[in-house]
Amino acid sequence: MMTRIKFIEHDGAEHVIEAEPGQSVMQAATFHGIPGILADCGGNCACATCHVYVDPAWRSRAGEPSKTEREMIDCALDVKEESRLCCQIRVSAELDGLVVRLPQSQT
Amino acid sequence: MDANIPAHVPSERVRDVDLYNLPGADEDVHLAWKKVQDENPDVFYTPRYGGYWVVTRAALLERIWPDHEAFSSRHISIPRIEGAPPQLPLEADPPVHQYFRAPVSVALSPKAVRTLTDRARALAIELIEGLRPKGRCDFVHEFAAHLPMEIFLSIVDLPSEDREWLIARAQIMTRGAKVEAKQQALGEIFGYLEKWIGQRREHPGEDLISRILQIRVADRPISHQEALSECALVLFGGLDTVAGTMGFIARFLARNPGHRRRLVQEPALIGRAIEELLRRHSIPTIARVLTRDVTLDGVLMKAGDFVQLTTVFHGLDERAWPEPLEVDFERDAHAHMAFGKGVHKCPGSNLARAEIRVFLEEWLKRIPQFSIAPGGDAVTATGAVAGVLNLPLVWPTEAGPVPAAGSR
Repeated sequence: MMTRIKFIEHDGAEHVIEAEPGQSVMQAATFHGIPGILADCGGNCACATCHVYVDPAWRSRAGEPSKTEREMIDCALDVKEESRLCCQIRVSAELDGLVVRLPQSQT
Repeated sequence: MDANIPAHVPSERVRDVDLYNLPGADEDVHLAWKKVQDENPDVFYTPRYGGYWVVTRAALLERIWPDHEAFSSRHISIPRIEGAPPQLPLEADPPVHQYFRAPVSVALSPKAVRTLTDRARALAIELIEGLRPKGRCDFVHEFAAHLPMEIFLSIVDLPSEDREWLIARAQIMTRGAKVEAKQQALGEIFGYLEKWIGQRREHPGEDLISRILQIRVADRPISHQEALSECALVLFGGLDTVAGTMGFIARFLARNPGHRRRLVQEPALIGRAIEELLRRHSIPTIARVLTRDVTLDGVLMKAGDFVQLTTVFHGLDERAWPEPLEVDFERDAHAHMAFGKGVHKCPGSNLARAEIRVFLEEWLKRIPQFSIAPGGDAVTATGAVAGVLNLPLVWPTEAGPVPAAGSR
């Protein structure tokens, strides 16, 4: 069972991809070549270059950032309340239909 | 040299290729590496510097880079320097690696890059405005070397006035001077870092030296040697890499007026163009040590063997990039490996991109038309970081057209 995720770039361009449960949202994004998800540290929550905004309707299901992730989010640009590092969001069936937006800095 | 070829290396895979003495590298180091790629097997063994494997194809590099379990980073230099303390964080493997890497990532995070870019831009404008009326310069010495040194000083919160002194020593180290002179320059730079490490130990601030000194490696504090090593890598990691990349890009644009005009007329293209220029002009070479036996391309590599990873081979592999020698700003080049891949991917990649962007935006605005000085050319160099040693440029000024050869 694949999980569908919609990425909306800062300019409005939309990409719907299918992710495998167990992957991180970042891994799915880089596998499908979503522009703007750099993921420089390879998914170790250590670079703040996979910054996304989780759509409000999905925030509780995507979960809250850990302390480490919150500290790293502080190093990102254009931070909002719904900011997450998508290497720390685990794909699951529950997230089928997830919508995330890319900040201006992730272009 | 045969003594350097272990029994498990098939003789048909042995090639004598010298990383530091590549035919043609003085004029064009990328074409020199391309020739090595074209003329040799995908995986071969060179007896140079104690003997090691060379992989020449993008797919193999992508396979090795992220596999830090089979391909350790504990020695990344060719030749291997016996007894040398590890360069940190590059020569640390997971899980210890993360402790050394973390403060560097924070210091080079997207938010930090924004502030650093402002400083780089101010300096770039000042330098270019100073050069513009002259109609000529050595691009490497008078421009490219300055931006990354200023950035380093900013990251560690040290005065800009130290820039010229540090650049002079860094240039001795990279310009093939006598070994004694290099040793002396290196010693002076380490002395400089030692002095500030001592000072920041007494009076810690928010800068990266202070943060490095606060690293805890699992349950112990970072040692003095480790801190010195990491500070040195923070300094050197961003110097000739960025200056060299700018040098290759400036040479390309000097020789290709069509590409140059396009960036002048459509500055919005610059972001995308940077990725393509990085692909075409990748520069670092790094090594890995096998922790276990691995078979690649049908060849058995044994635990303890060394492998050379050259980013140029990725960017110029026609199996990954059609017409690899062509620079095409329409190409989607974001998957290039100029910064590596995996846990050791260059933590300064976004800073480097920002510095290159500052160079292109501010230079092309002020000196849109430039060429290589008549009778001159770039001098490029091979080695762990392919570089541009000299790049004499000329351009028309209000006082007159491009100066003739030899005039000053």
